[in-house]
Amino acid sequence: MPYNARLIETLSMVMIITSVAAVESHNLKRAAAAYCLQALLICGLILAFAVGNPALYIWALVAFITKAVLTPWFMMRYIGKTGEEEVRPIIGFGPSVVIVSVMLVSFYKLTHTYVHVLAPTPESAAGVFRTNLAIALTVFVLGLYAMLSRRDAIKTVIGLCLLENAVHLSLVSLAPNMRETALIGIATEVVVTVYLLLYVISGIREKIGTTDTFELAELHW
Amino acid sequence: MEQPTPSVLVQLVFLIPAVASILAWLLGRLHRAFAELIGLLGAAGALAVSVVIVGSALRGEILTGWGRELRVDSLSALLVLLISAVGVPAALFSIRYMRHRRLHDAQGRDITDARLPAFYGLFLLFMATMLWGCVTNNIIMLYVAVEATTIASGLLVAFYWDRRSLEAGYKYLMLLTVGITFALFACVLLYASAAPYLPGVNAMLISELRGVAGLIPRSVAIFVVAFLVVGFGTKAGIAPFHPWLPDAHAEAPSPVSALLSGVMIKMAAYALARTVTIFFPAYPALTVFIVVLGSFTMLLGGVMALAQDDLKRLLAYSTVSQMGYVIVGLGFGTYLGVYGGLFHLVTHAAAKALLFLSVGAVIYATSARSISELGGLSRRMPITAVCFFIGAFSIAGMPPFGGFMSKLTIFMAGAGVGMWAAVGVGVFTSLLTLVVVFRAGQAVFWGEPKSAAAALESVREVPASLWAAMVLLAGVCLLLGVYPQLAYPLLNRASLSIAGVLAGH
Repeated sequence: MPYNARLIETLSMVMIITSVAAVESHNLKRAAAAYCLQALLICGLILAFAVGNPALYIWALVAFITKAVLTPWFMMRYIGKTGEEEVRPIIGFGPSVVIVSVMLVSFYKLTHTYVHVLAPTPESAAGVFRTNLAIALTVFVLGLYAMLSRRDAIKTVIGLCLLENAVHLSLVSLAPNMRETALIGIATEVVVTVYLLLYVISGIREKIGTTDTFELAELHW
Repeated sequence: MEQPTPSVLVQLVFLIPAVASILAWLLGRLHRAFAELIGLLGAAGALAVSVVIVGSALRGEILTGWGRELRVDSLSALLVLLISAVGVPAALFSIRYMRHRRLHDAQGRDITDARLPAFYGLFLLFMATMLWGCVTNNIIMLYVAVEATTIASGLLVAFYWDRRSLEAGYKYLMLLTVGITFALFACVLLYASAAPYLPGVNAMLISELRGVAGLIPRSVAIFVVAFLVVGFGTKAGIAPFHPWLPDAHAEAPSPVSALLSGVMIKMAAYALARTVTIFFPAYPALTVFIVVLGSFTMLLGGVMALAQDDLKRLLAYSTVSQMGYVIVGLGFGTYLGVYGGLFHLVTHAAAKALLFLSVGAVIYATSARSISELGGLSRRMPITAVCFFIGAFSIAGMPPFGGFMSKLTIFMAGAGVGMWAAVGVGVFTSLLTLVVVFRAGQAVFWGEPKSAAAALESVREVPASLWAAMVLLAGVCLLLGVYPQLAYPLLNRASLSIAGVLAGH
């Protein structure tokens, strides 16, 4: 298999660092920029896998347009409308970093050991694919953590984007032969959803004056 | 063996509302009447095509489109008919209803007419995506379609653009997108693990996947089923993934609530039925899991509905509860169980849409929707009152309405497989539901008005286009209760298509 394992591992590690930066950064514009970088790295990763499966070149292009161009652009536009400073979460920076690091290391170890449980075919459990799955799952958890622990609505959207990126990255090892139309459909939908969410959040900012999700408490059981 | 026949009807059924959606949005800017008319015509067009499709399905034909990408068997035909049959009264109801509550921008100007084209455009797009989801044979496109319904309906939920609607819209988009991502993971896993066993054949086709479900590695299958239940189950309103439902269904405009409760979650249940049932032959214990989940949903929804003062939230929790019945029926895994589940899908769609439209009528007349504020409305709004009670009794499972027949079928199926606990929960929840809806109906329509809003002299019966839509649906509820045999031909074939999967062929 012609995969450059070193390149993939390096890209993966940097990608995780940018993901953490996207989650932790208090300045929303910087968080969006970190997210953009993360998306670029994901495109790089997909390209690194494309040597073994040419269909992935199209996937990388689609990912580039939707994740690295459109999504950050929408984010920047709406952050401009709603304000740059994040509404501070309850969990401060310090404890957050510790929690995230612990999660990352344990999940990486977990998935690397138990990848055969999830891998649909024996090929998927091999070498670089295993790394890919492990990375994807860690970023998924990171995105979920962001969505659950962040108070600012825009940050939760960034968390959602991270989550989606993780799932799409996992497709590289799980379903390398999937048709391009399916991939385009999947990627486009996320962009549209993110746009709608940002649009609704800007409406919230207009009506309520803040993007603090703690204020969104009118509807309770 | 039914032979697949290529047919343009399969594409038309969702392309007509999709094109109408664009037309409504564009032409509506000239005058809102264009948007309203196209809204109604688009829905009616879909209904006309659905009826023809059902005709083919009853003759035993399987229609296909775009190669085998789209495939309409009796189950799809049933759902397609359901979606458009509820869509037409909802579109009719929308015309006067959506004009009634005026929307204002930040400067206080009335912008209702400017926003109505977007409403009808999204309404038709919503219908188109649901219809597409029910005719697609591609498991990845099924995910895409379900997500597309969320996208189309997201702005409909937030349509009134006030604090509560925006909050509901935000939660709706967030929770459903996360949920459906699990389903994406499951669909991709399923496709990838089936691919080695379906060489040369497109492993994304649901019709092919049923044959290889037993060959997938066990651990992967467990993940797939779990994630499918989380993913499509979130969309179908199954507990504990239901929290988005009460907010969204309550804050959306009433005709949209009718679509959300009446058909969108049915479409999600359809997606669940298509994908999870292929695992039943290889993993019989799955049936118990599904029945337990369904029973929990039934009970939770019923109990939460009891505590609600807001009529729309009450109906939303009742929807959660009734979806539990559908899931339990499907979960029994026998022909009768599937028949009961599908029948309940139909009767609940009609009854719940009717209930939301009736509550919409109440809101139209009084601008109030809390039980504690309303009262004595039956004197002023007799048609609405009758329609409400018809829907309520159907939901509660009282004869001679459709809900009684469908629930009875589910109970019989439960007795047939010996799951008496589930039957017990079902009967108890029915009684609970009866108490809940009767108490609500009695408080709102009988007795004395409890606030100034309800006692206003100007409160009177709603315009004809509103009650016509309600009466139509009420007629369906009554018809299905008195002549359940009417639905038999289509339901029988639809149940057989799933039961065939359950039996392992």
